[in-house]
This record gives sequence, structure tokens and C-alpha cells, in this order.
Amino acid sequence: MPQFHTLWTHIELRGPDEAGPPLQIGSPGRIGKPFHSQWLGRIGEMQVLPTHLGPTGVASLLCGFIAIEIIGLNMLASVDWNPVRFIRLLPFLSLDPPPAKYGLNPFPPLREGGWWLMAGFFLTAAILLWWVKMYRRARALGMGTHIPWCFASAIWLYLVLGFIRPIAMGSWSEAVPFGVIPHLNWTATFSVRYGNIFYNPFHMLSISFLYGSTMLFAMHAGTILAVTPLGGERETHQITDRGTAAERAALFWRWTMGFNSNYESIHRWLYWFATLVTLTGGIGILATGTLVDNWYLWGVKNGLAPQYRPAPDLPAAPPAQALKTMQDKVLGR
Amino acid sequence: MRIGPPILAVGLVCAGLFTLFVPTWNLPTQGTQTGPNGPSLVQYAPTGSPLFQTRNGPPPANPPLIEDTRPATEAYKNVTVLTDLNAGEFMRLQQAITNWVAPQQGCDFCHAGGDFASDAKPTKAAARDMLKMVRHLNADWTEHVGGAGVTCWSCHRGQPVPAEIWFSRPPHPQGAHMDKPENWNESGDSVRQFFPNAGYELYLLQDTPGLAQSYTALPNGQVADQVVVKRLYEVMMQMSAGMGVNCTYCHNSRAFYDWGQSLPARWTGYSGIQMVRDINRNVLLPLAVRMPQIRETADDPHTIVLPDRMRGPQEGNGFVLCATCHYGLPKPADHAQELLTVFPGLKGPGREHAASATDQGGQP
Repeated sequence: MPQFHTLWTHIELRGPDEAGPPLQIGSPGRIGKPFHSQWLGRIGEMQVLPTHLGPTGVASLLCGFIAIEIIGLNMLASVDWNPVRFIRLLPFLSLDPPPAKYGLNPFPPLREGGWWLMAGFFLTAAILLWWVKMYRRARALGMGTHIPWCFASAIWLYLVLGFIRPIAMGSWSEAVPFGVIPHLNWTATFSVRYGNIFYNPFHMLSISFLYGSTMLFAMHAGTILAVTPLGGERETHQITDRGTAAERAALFWRWTMGFNSNYESIHRWLYWFATLVTLTGGIGILATGTLVDNWYLWGVKNGLAPQYRPAPDLPAAPPAQALKTMQDKVLGR
Repeated sequence: MRIGPPILAVGLVCAGLFTLFVPTWNLPTQGTQTGPNGPSLVQYAPTGSPLFQTRNGPPPANPPLIEDTRPATEAYKNVTVLTDLNAGEFMRLQQAITNWVAPQQGCDFCHAGGDFASDAKPTKAAARDMLKMVRHLNADWTEHVGGAGVTCWSCHRGQPVPAEIWFSRPPHPQGAHMDKPENWNESGDSVRQFFPNAGYELYLLQDTPGLAQSYTALPNGQVADQVVVKRLYEVMMQMSAGMGVNCTYCHNSRAFYDWGQSLPARWTGYSGIQMVRDINRNVLLPLAVRMPQIRETADDPHTIVLPDRMRGPQEGNGFVLCATCHYGLPKPADHAQELLTVFPGLKGPGREHAASATDQGGQP
């Protein structure tokens, strides 16, 4: 039994190289000479390569390279081309969108967001091309297109943050900067600026689906590993031809929570929970600043946020005279 | 015998012992609830960042008071600021200032070789401005400094230039295609201390409105600038790190803007921001005019003024922020209250008095 608790796979199949189905006429060749790795076999398939890039894959990698290059060189320029400072400060370096004064101008000066727009364009192109590549590979293999659509949901959130919402708000300055800590600061600021985004119901949904996904994945993976000695890893086979593994797994959940999913529905649950994280998240971001300006006040208005008793002896606002006296001192009046 | 399980067990025991004994556990954490149940308004004792803690030692012993009741203006030449002291108090304060600000450099830091009346050194003019500032802060900024007050020691802590300052952004080189370099804090012991300080210029020097949140649930035509608001966030984080407190020391984080849900400390904090702006705009910006002169004399062995970061490519001017006085504590450990009872010269007559004195002076 202990082998079913470890991280490593225990059955590694070594056979002749698998070349994949024959190429269709006119398709580009596959890339890479296949080899077998026992160590990679511990976490997945032993055979590595060949892979498929195709015209969309090549174009996507090229666009992605250009985007990363623009971002990296701008960051390097911001530390005066000093590689040591670049590595030390990398988490804090950023490439910012144009300031608000340029609005939606597609050609602001390079140093004031022009590079940001260019990097954003190439990054978006890379992601969309990669989506096309994924879709075409799914069709070529005769699969359903579930994975590309799941990926499209993540792209939706990305586009809302960097493209659709800035256009709706009329300024590129609304978009997210490139950079590790800067984009986190952007996120914190965005939440506070719109009166605490935790009161945004779409944010609540997104978080529920996110945490729900992790919980469902843990429940599902745990169940399957637990019934693997009984043949449970042949999951989809057991959808229609239930064996003792499926029966036991179903009984386990029925006896612990009264209701159970089955070998088909659990995958639909997982697929939709994961897809809805970014779908609802994107709606929440798009509604922020366009439809709702202060989510806390929106929550109070709609009975979502409770009112607390105001602290005794504390005025609702500082006295105007005290504010004016202070301002006079600062401005030297 | 299989060796995996014993190795795993020994590893787990080692990891457990490491976790228990290596970090400095400060348990149980003592929290004080400062607001209603629900919004998590709890304060923990500030542990203070190690970087700041090294600055929070006791001030040097006060110099002795020598009885001399002549007015300082009669006993000494060229006295322009401390005109309300007698000669004994005046000398005692001069010695204390040396201990607080330039203990290694001594009197020569500001005074030109033995001629105490001479105004030859640019540092002397700067010191006068600083003295005027302290007298102004203690008289006019009771909203922030309250009964405790401030002294030279509050910021300087034995150094000619206080340890915690920030620099304005140097002008952008003409024709460059990349963005100008940000002013980074390149050392610190928490993420927040590394934040760029581009926003300090907006909020601690210029007159940028700090209102970020809308007062209405639905859009009302007022749009805050996301980039500027991000700078405000960095400024507030500087405040939080500089004082060793969390947002909830002043704000109710569910509604940052709402004074009615905030804690009384927010008014002290707000007046602190305004005081910092008063210092930066009205004292340090004019002082910047003299900085090139001070820099030129900085290599003189008796006037080692500037820390390394103020030399070289860093051409900006130094300004203050919250940490300049607070050094990681909500109430600075600067002993200002005791020091002010010993050195009355550090509190001036105040703006009101100065204004009325000018009015009377104008009458025949």
C-alpha cells in the first residue's frame, strides 16, 4: 500500500520510441529526437520528444521572446545596465503602462509607456497564437476542444485586465504593469481604490471556484489513488463498466457525505470549477470602475456589508477648521 | 532492512527541532483589540525591524549647565535664532546639539576654526534652519508631536545626516528612449523597504490629493488615476514600515476612506503626513540650494557630512519621511519629552506669536 502514497509513479514503461501518427501531407515535421529518461518517468511519461510547433507555435514563441526581451531590457535600462543590480532588484523592477494623460493614445513616447504597449502587444499575440496552436492540435488529434476553451477563460481575464477594461475606462494607465512586486502592488491598490474588492460578488465567486477547484482536485485525486489497487485508475472505462473500484469510491463518499459524484460527473465539476475561476474573475474586474466605483459602499447599499456601531466620541470627519489650519502651515499661508 | 523510513523519520525530527529552536518565537502573541468585533482591529506590540533597532539607543548624557544669566545675545556675537535664552542655557544647548548631530566632527562641523561668530561654513546656515525648524515643530505642530515634542536627536541620532531619508528623482536625460531609473531602496529587511519612492515626491513634497476611494457606490464621473494611487499605496506602506504598525493601527481596512470607522490614531498620522510636507517644502527644499556648497566641503576631514549614497550619481536632495523620526516604532524612542524640559530653547514662540509680533513691529 505505501507505494500509492508517494509522489513518484511506480510503473515505468520502456519500449521502442513512439513516433506518433503519420504526418498529413503538407504538415511541418515534428521537432526533436526522442529519448527515454528514467527520472522523468518518475513523474510522467518516460519518452521525451518529439514535439510539434507548427507555424502558429513558431510565431507564438517569437512574439513571446520579443515581449520578454522588451520587458527585460527596459528593466535593465532602469538600473543603468548594471547586471548585478538587475539581479538583486529584479523582483522590484517594473515596466509601467503610459500615464493617464495619454489616454488611449496608441503611440505614447517610448519611455512613457510606449515600450509597455509594445510588450503588451507581442505578449498578447504570443498568447493568442498559442491558443490557436492548442486548438488546432486538439482538432488534429480528433479530441474535444475542452482544453483550449479552458485556456480561453484564462485569456479572458488577461485581456480584461490589460486591454478591455483599460479601453472601457478610456486610459492605458488602468492596466497592470509588468514586474513581480509592482503587479502585486497594483493588485493591492486596485482593491483599495475601489473600496475593497472583497465586497465584489464576482470576486467572491471567483475565489469560491478557485478554492473549490483545489478541494475537488484533492478529493478526486485522493479517491482515484485510493482505489487504484482495485483498478480505479481506469477511470473513464469504469464510467460505463463499473468495477469494484468505482463502486467502493462511490460508497465511500455516499457514506461520508450522503451524496456522491460519479466517474463522469466529477470531471465535469472539475472542468467547470477551474474554468469559472477566471470567467467570473474577469467579469468582476470589468465591472470595477465601469459599473461600480466603491464595492464597500455597494455592499452596504445592498445589505452585504454590516454597519458597525461608530466608535464613541469619534467625529465622522476631522473638523474643517483643523484641516485648514494644517494646510495653511504646509502651504506657508 | 529498508533505509527509507528511518531516514525520513530522522529528517522529520531534525526539521521539527529546527522549526522549534532556530527562529525567535515570540509566543504567545499579545494583541489588543482597538475596535468593534469583526473588522480585525487588533494591535500587536511592534517588534521593530532589526535595521531600525540599532538606532534606538539612549541619547548622550546632557552637558552640565553653567550659571550665566546674561542674555545670550549680549554674551555672544551673531546670535539670531536662540535669542530667548540666557548665555548658560545657550552654551549648554550648543554642546548638546554637537553631541546629537556631530559627535565625531565637533564644533568645527559648523563653526569656522575658532571664530564662533563667523558664518563662513554652509553647514552653520543649515544648522540655523534646522534649529528654526525644531522650534517651529514644537510650537506649531502639537497636532502631531503633542506634549512629547521633537529634538535634533529625534532624527539625527548621532549622525550629521539622519539615517532614514529619501531623495528626489534626478531630472530625466534628454532624448532617452528608456524610462528613467527609479530611486530604489537597495537594502532593507522587509519587502516594503524596497519599494520605489517615486510616490514620495507626489505626496510628501508636492500637493497631490490623497483621495483615492469614491464616496459613492456607483461611478460619479470622478476617476482616480491608477498609477498615482499606486504611488499613494507605496507612500502608505512607507508609513507602515517606518512606524512598525499595520494599516489597522489607524484605518478600518474595510473602508479606508471613512474617518467615522477609523481609529483616533489616524488624525495623529494624518497630521504627521502634513508635518512631513511642511518640513520638506518649507525647510528642506530651500536647504537644497545650499547642498552643492556643503557637498564641495564634504571631503574635508572635519566635515564628513554625506553618507555614500548621497555622493556619486545620486544628485537628488534629501527629504524626510515617517521613519526619519520613528525608526520603526509608533512612538519614537527619542526621549524628546525629557530633553525638552532640559532644553527650553528647542521650543519657539510659534507662528501666531511671530505673526502678531510682526504686526506690532509695523506700528509706530
